[in-house]
Amino acid sequence: MTWIDFPLYSSIVVILWIFGLVFLLISYKKEAVLKIANLLFVAGWAVLILFVLKLWIELDRPPMRTLGETRLWYAAFLPLVGFVTYIRWKYKWFLAYSIIMAGMFLAINYLHPETYSKTLMPALQSPWFIPHVLVYLFSYAVLAASSIVAVKGWYDSYKGNFDLETLKLADNLVYIGFAFLTLGLLFGALWAKEAWGHYWTWDPKEVWAFLTWMGYLIYIHYRHFHIHKSKQALTILALAFVVLLVCWFGVNYLPVANTSVHTYTQY
Amino acid sequence: MSENHLNVQRKLWENPWGYVESFFIGFGLIVTGFFLEVFVSTSNTFTLSYPFNLYFLIGYVLTLFVLYKWFSTSQIIKWLTKVPASISSITLVTFMVMIMGIIPQVSSESNIINNLGLNKITSNWAFLLILFQFLTCLGLISIKRILQFKWSNFGFILNHLGLFLALIAGILGTGDLQRLSVNTYEGKPSWIATNSQKQEIELPFAFYLKDFVIDEYNPKLALIDNKTGSIAENDGKNLYLVEKDETYYIKNFEIKVNEFLATSARLGDRYHPVNELGSPPSAFISVRNIETDSIINNWISSGSFSQPYESLKISEDYSIVMTIPEVKKFSSDIDILTQEGERISTVLEVNKPFKHKGWKIYQLSYDDKMGKWSNLSVLELVRDPWLPVIYIGIFMMIAGAFYMFWMGNKITKNQ
Ligand code: HEM
Repeated sequence: MTWIDFPLYSSIVVILWIFGLVFLLISYKKEAVLKIANLLFVAGWAVLILFVLKLWIELDRPPMRTLGETRLWYAAFLPLVGFVTYIRWKYKWFLAYSIIMAGMFLAINYLHPETYSKTLMPALQSPWFIPHVLVYLFSYAVLAASSIVAVKGWYDSYKGNFDLETLKLADNLVYIGFAFLTLGLLFGALWAKEAWGHYWTWDPKEVWAFLTWMGYLIYIHYRHFHIHKSKQALTILALAFVVLLVCWFGVNYLPVANTSVHTYTQY
Repeated sequence: MSENHLNVQRKLWENPWGYVESFFIGFGLIVTGFFLEVFVSTSNTFTLSYPFNLYFLIGYVLTLFVLYKWFSTSQIIKWLTKVPASISSITLVTFMVMIMGIIPQVSSESNIINNLGLNKITSNWAFLLILFQFLTCLGLISIKRILQFKWSNFGFILNHLGLFLALIAGILGTGDLQRLSVNTYEGKPSWIATNSQKQEIELPFAFYLKDFVIDEYNPKLALIDNKTGSIAENDGKNLYLVEKDETYYIKNFEIKVNEFLATSARLGDRYHPVNELGSPPSAFISVRNIETDSIINNWISSGSFSQPYESLKISEDYSIVMTIPEVKKFSSDIDILTQEGERISTVLEVNKPFKHKGWKIYQLSYDDKMGKWSNLSVLELVRDPWLPVIYIGIFMMIAGAFYMFWMGNKITKNQ
């Protein structure tokens, strides 16, 4: 078994990352220790990549055919996207989120060794699969964060001390999240074309992903045009998030659910 | 800039049109569309195909250009290039798509749904009209920013023009999209395809299927409840793949796989490795009940289209079965024979289509019942001449997304 060393490697990675997260937390008080946190994250990531490479060499094919293998890739790429976003936008919570998610995927693999070989249907064995899921993971996280900011905005304006900076933070999160959302949508389209020969079929999940995208599009344009109408902007942001939640969890409960191809429920 | 206008008391339909007028017009389009749905019989959906869709595109873009260039002072063009018109059309398109996301797009029992065409939104007049306004806004502002010739408009143009191209090429392209399927049989040439209307079409080339191969995963072990016949819960864990010399624990049973044969046949009291049509996988397992320490061992097999399956009853309540192996990969080793006498060899696989003379050839399916002994491989041929335009649009939008990621709220100007 080529996964034989996984418990060892993943433990090292997770331990390094946990220490990194602790230092990240401390760095809110004492900025200097942030370097240590980053060093630990990078070290953990390097160990993980070493394992992926070893596995790849031993299997003699890109490890992308089983559920366990795809989770390994999520764990490998999440910190990378987290770092790029961090370098650009300096959101520490986002770096922590990406590391925690990556650690979670490692933990799932560790706890369910039987999924190392759990089969993936042929259509899912595509280089587009991982980027497609990953960017959605990020997009939902950032957009959810924008909604939290919106809630804060509501609360502040209720208290009468609303600050426009709050909305600007929401804007930034929406732009970043929307960029990821667009990528998720388009990677999905390109993949579908390679696998099934059509890029868009108005499958229920696709419909709701599209609706989510349109919801944030309304927010972006409204904000661009009406810089000072903060209440309305916050309302639009809240509604867009409701649509996102329907897309994420709700589609299965709608009357259209049984016509969807997106019902693998195995991420 | 618009802020000032909105603060002043303004009569309806006075300059410039705002949200009330925009939504009024948008609803007007939708209502008109529903009227058309109800009163104009549209038994066959109307699509443009080459060269008319190309003429339409050129005419449309030229019209937008002329409108912007020489009529930009007119009320309606001014309105179309401003945010309220865009937001109302984005909102109403969203509304129409939301109907599609709630009402299943299949034939319905309800008369209201049928008459209003709510179960065929993509060809619904109401949807098409509001989408037309959406595209017109998008086209006009793209032209506006392109004509400004400014570097700072780069990201804007990537996003808006990219979306415009992808959408318009996607819509107009449906008229030229061809999707055919071909049944190919091992050792035989095939050149007859069927289209979506089940009509037969002769291809200008033939496929010769040399070999159809299915790679399977090993079968899995499952614990079956003897009474219900369904899989007994295993702490929510997945089933185990059968592997020689492995030991698995399910409930309070220890299951050891002593022997595993990928293709085999029963001869007397045991299975032997053979490789014939329909020879199923089998395994010799020994099951120890951890509580009572009793051991049972025997052969199990998942069976195939020609052989029965065999399970092992291990207690009053449970049996062990071997599931039908799942497909890991399937591929067709084909030759394409052209009229010029050329012979092109390739291997088709899911996610790995092959391009030939403007066609994309996909591995679609096979004979499910025969599984890995299928000598039928179904190929799909797709021809989509507008695809390059769609891809240009998509890649512009991908670049635009990176731009947005990088710029963040610096995009929001005049604060
Ligand atoms: C890929 C999707 C889209 C993205 C990412 C996007 C993004 C943006 C951004 C960031 C702005 C303001 C910033 C700037 O001026 O550069 C903007 C402005 C605008 N957008 Fe969009 N948009 C999209 C689609 C649309 C659509 C579908 C419409 C119309 C139906 C539209 C109509 C407008 C209009 C009218 C403006 C204002 C233009 C102006 O003031 O000159 N956009 N868009």
